Amino acid sequence: MQVFLEYLFAGISNGAIYAALALAIVMVFRGTGTINFAQGEMALFTTYIAWGLTTKNVPVVLCLLVATAAGFVLGAVTERVFIRPIERKSLLATLIVLLGLFLALNSLDGILWGNQNYTMPSLFPNSVSSFVSVGGARLYWANLGLWIVVAVLVGAMFQLFNHTRLGLHMRATASNRESAALSGIPVGRILMLGWGFSAAVGAIAGILFTPLSPDALGLGEMFPILIQASAAALFGGLDSPGGAVAAGLLMGIVEALLSGYVPAIGGQLQEAIAFVAIVLVLLVRPQGLFGSKEVERV
Amino acid sequence: MSLLEITDLRGGYGPSMVLHGISLTVNEGEIVVVLGANGAGKTTTMRAIAGLISRKGAISLDGLSIIGMNPDKVVGAGISLVPQGRGTFAKLSVEDNLLVGAAKRRDRAGIKEDLERWYEVFPRLAERKKQPAGTLSGGEQQMLAIARALMNRPRLLLCDEPSLGLAPIVVREVFSLLTRINAEQTMAMLIVEQNAELALEIASRAYLLEVGNVVSEGTAASLRNSDAVRRAYLGY
Repeated sequence: MQVFLEYLFAGISNGAIYAALALAIVMVFRGTGTINFAQGEMALFTTYIAWGLTTKNVPVVLCLLVATAAGFVLGAVTERVFIRPIERKSLLATLIVLLGLFLALNSLDGILWGNQNYTMPSLFPNSVSSFVSVGGARLYWANLGLWIVVAVLVGAMFQLFNHTRLGLHMRATASNRESAALSGIPVGRILMLGWGFSAAVGAIAGILFTPLSPDALGLGEMFPILIQASAAALFGGLDSPGGAVAAGLLMGIVEALLSGYVPAIGGQLQEAIAFVAIVLVLLVRPQGLFGSKEVERV
Repeated sequence: MSLLEITDLRGGYGPSMVLHGISLTVNEGEIVVVLGANGAGKTTTMRAIAGLISRKGAISLDGLSIIGMNPDKVVGAGISLVPQGRGTFAKLSVEDNLLVGAAKRRDRAGIKEDLERWYEVFPRLAERKKQPAGTLSGGEQQMLAIARALMNRPRLLLCDEPSLGLAPIVVREVFSLLTRINAEQTMAMLIVEQNAELALEIASRAYLLEVGNVVSEGTAASLRNSDAVRRAYLGY
């Protein structure tokens, strides 16, 4: 039981960051129609910014806020400068630009912060003794804090989508861009905000997740997470924010339990689970768990 | 001065020009119809006014030039286009579709009032307000598209082929509603229509387009009696 709970806790923490990044991917996909391959690297870049500030003795909360704001700007600028002029040309060109951005951001991290790994300080008490015991298993405050913040963040995003005017305009733009413009929505500004919000979500997720293990902040940190988050977004249905979050959590938990209990998978084959999931989803249910087949009568 | 004044409007898609210098006017409270065969440039004219394509020449609404404006600014200036194909937000509820139509407005009370007004005029939308708009019938989606455009309280309503793909009885209903809205709200309308007979019935003036040029214009009655129009578009 104790071992099971420890696997489960680790799975929920991984799942929470998959969920947050998958949500970010879905937000971009709904507006722009592409998977933002640079989503993970954007989160890594902002995590480095936060870490850099902590080395200057800035309180972690303040680092989080600054890095989140930086993430928002990074996302918005990316849409305006790299995506908007190119997306009308072709979807493929947009994808290539995003792959380029992925590499460019990663190299920039390397230039600015070097290729050694760092330990990101936690927002929450993070010593060996800061845990509560649940059924004999240790639940660390940093994990619990991550869960709560991600839950609040996801809740806030859903509130934004479904109960605000801005959210309505975002959904309308995602549904039919030309019609949205004809209704008076400044489509460009709405897409820019969507990219900004999605990068801000990624920034928060990265800053909360990285402190969970020592020496986690490095150039290769986010790539595997991006793969898992993309798989989760696909699994949940690329246009469904709720599906992305549910699938992200599910993937984190399944992955932790499988690699814990099936020695053949262990720590090594962990990432293969995402690939298997992607292939299975595309075969069995291409629209994902909660994605919609467009219902439209004409 | 007319409400809408278009002078020497040129435009098209990329390098291919479709409009070769169109001039037309719409007066306050008037219904004007644009007739023409497929490919005459009717839809392109509408898209040029709405700011969806790049265009040259002069377009002004009540003296204000809108030629360089983006689509959302044109809406803000008081021109709403009901696009061909209706532009339904399929996954959004009927009510959310209507609220999107009020994107340029800030007056909450007025928006609510208008929702009620258009639910009264289009009772079938009221019955289906929580339903995803993609599940509506073609006729209902056309009504929704018109009501959505009206939520902007435009001074000029542009309708692109409102009869397209609808059963004749539904087409009658749509046109009688347009007439009613025109009368009750004294709202000017510019309507592009293939169904020339019906369109000339509700319009006060008409323009006839051929390959991107205005070839004939006049009162609806005079165009109905012109031999050219009768042979080409009325079939008798």
